[in-house]
Amino acid sequence: MAYQLDNRPLDLRERFYFPEVIRGIGTLAGHFLKNLFFSRDANPDILARPRGFARSDNVTLQYPEEKAPYPPGYRGLHRLVPRQDGSPRCVACYMCATACPAQCIYIEAGEVAGDPIEKYPVKFVIDELRCVVCGFCVEACPKDAIRMDTGEHAPPSLERSGQLQDIKALLRGPAVSYLSDPWLRRPSPSIPADQLAAMKATARPYHADADDEYASTPGFSVRALAAEARERAARAGAK
Amino acid sequence: MKRFVGMSLTLAALVGVLVLLGAGFYWVAAGLGYACNGLAIWLGWNPPGTWSPFAFHVGITLGNLLTLMMVVLMISGSLLTVAERKWSALLQNRIGANRITVGGNPLGGIPYLLADALKMLTKERAAPDVRTRLLFELAPVLAFAPVFCLFAIVPVGPPIDLGAFFAGAAGAGRTVALQVASIDAGLLYLFAIASLSVYGTSLAGWASNNKLALLGGVRASSQMISYEVSMGLSLVGTMMAYRTLRLEEMVVAQGAPVLGGFPALGLLLQPIGFLVFFTSGFAETKRAPFDLPEGESEIVGYFIEYSGMKFGMMFLAEFLEIAVFAGVITAVFLGGWHPLVVDTGWLRAHVTPLWFGAIGAGAFLVKMIVLMWLQLVIRWLLPRFRYDQVQKLCWKILLPASLVNIFVTGAAILIDPSLQLLAWIGLATIIVIGLLVATTGRAAPAHDAGPAHGGHGAAAAAGH
Repeated sequence: MAYQLDNRPLDLRERFYFPEVIRGIGTLAGHFLKNLFFSRDANPDILARPRGFARSDNVTLQYPEEKAPYPPGYRGLHRLVPRQDGSPRCVACYMCATACPAQCIYIEAGEVAGDPIEKYPVKFVIDELRCVVCGFCVEACPKDAIRMDTGEHAPPSLERSGQLQDIKALLRGPAVSYLSDPWLRRPSPSIPADQLAAMKATARPYHADADDEYASTPGFSVRALAAEARERAARAGAK
Repeated sequence: MKRFVGMSLTLAALVGVLVLLGAGFYWVAAGLGYACNGLAIWLGWNPPGTWSPFAFHVGITLGNLLTLMMVVLMISGSLLTVAERKWSALLQNRIGANRITVGGNPLGGIPYLLADALKMLTKERAAPDVRTRLLFELAPVLAFAPVFCLFAIVPVGPPIDLGAFFAGAAGAGRTVALQVASIDAGLLYLFAIASLSVYGTSLAGWASNNKLALLGGVRASSQMISYEVSMGLSLVGTMMAYRTLRLEEMVVAQGAPVLGGFPALGLLLQPIGFLVFFTSGFAETKRAPFDLPEGESEIVGYFIEYSGMKFGMMFLAEFLEIAVFAGVITAVFLGGWHPLVVDTGWLRAHVTPLWFGAIGAGAFLVKMIVLMWLQLVIRWLLPRFRYDQVQKLCWKILLPASLVNIFVTGAAILIDPSLQLLAWIGLATIIVIGLLVATTGRAAPAHDAGPAHGGHGAAAAAGH
């Protein structure tokens, strides 16, 4: 935080220097005594810590033990959003894999037995080492099936393969159903009839105005990005 | 609030421990003195039943060497390495070293002492091939030893009659004092030994055969020799006022009432002398803001080629200097072992001689700790001076100030030998300094809601 400095020349008292040093000792002694006698508030929101008389001025966050909460828009590890029956909402449309600038999403689609339309992901693997955490996959998804709302980092691993997250690792978090979900609106062999009624009962209406931060990022266009990438590739090829 | 109560109790316990420590020191000195006397008799140097002042003196000195130098000085010096980290953290709103814990308690960072010592002792010793071997090996010793010798004349506790320890051993002149050596030269010895430590730094700089080390050594010698002058002259006023060079006599003289019963502290009689001595002594310790010889961000300094425990000795010598310097200031300016919160005469009448001595020693150690703290605060307050500022501060401010102080003190003592006039002058000086401090400083900018930022004048030249 910048503040205005008073840049007038030193007056006689200030040129003595010693009074200013003694004043400085007073300031530091104040900090010392406050921090010595009063305990540090461990509130992770440092700006909300109480200050003033008889309070420690300490602003330290003891990191491994105390963690600052991430901001609401933080893009953490991916997760695949489950339906109520535990299967992923993903319909294997490849939109996320197409949008991904790092090409870290690998999908193998399978057909739902006895259904001429519906697909499901046989394999859905995200390579967290390649991922650039841009969030494009979340924005591209038409079914709200992939999200980055876990608030976690990629966990450390001793091997590269440890960073390959498959459906088993990705499928977690609370289930979501929307009234507009096609598998609820028409009978689908992927869902038993008795479960269908229960899922419909808990389904929510889809938001007309998307309040998801990723979905409302202005000026974002997958096509424009892809065109840019093609141009770059063409320029690199021309050279 | 829990921390407030705990910390207050800890500080109270610390004072108690220091008093007990003082009592223990007296017992060690008296016991060794008594034992040496017995040894002399057993060896047949003295006939049985007689008293050997020499053997007794040797024993007491031995005891004081053990307790004052090995315990007080070494422990305060090594604890200061931890205090440097921990206190600076408190000054800067940080937590400081707290990762080594004993049973989950960081113990104020003290376990780091063991870790640091282990690191220093087990480090690789890499010395340059082109060094001047003898001087290179000698330099850490020369930096380390004088500091130890300095503490010899610091009177930590008052003299107590030996009868307080061993009934029947009382006798004329059989007193035990917490002071290693009581010599006539007193302060002159102090100046002589203090100037010896410049050899350690300049030899280290020269013998390393390294340009940066040489630069550091040259800076150290010029700075330290310059500040010797004002340091010596700053104490002439106290020598005149107390009419002695012996530190223990100065301490006794500071107990005398002046200005309506207030003790004639050096701080009251010689405020300018105190400021000049404190500043020059600070420059002698070669620590920030006078750390040009070291200058870790530019030339690394005279010990750049030292590693392992040789570096550790140089490093420790700086902290020992802080402790010794605090001890000397306590004795000369802060009334030494007089516990200023209670009247010394009343205390002497109401507690046994041993506990009187112990409380005195405790008071001395408390004052020493406060002064060491003050030195660390200043070290973390001020940025390093430029070289011209260092020399300007010495020759154009401190030296004239100490000379004027000598003349004013001399005149005041000549006019009024009872020191009343000198005390009034000192009081007036303190009030003027207080007014200057109260009226200087610029108001913090209105829109800065944070705590006041100290050191407005820190970037200003010292000697403008």
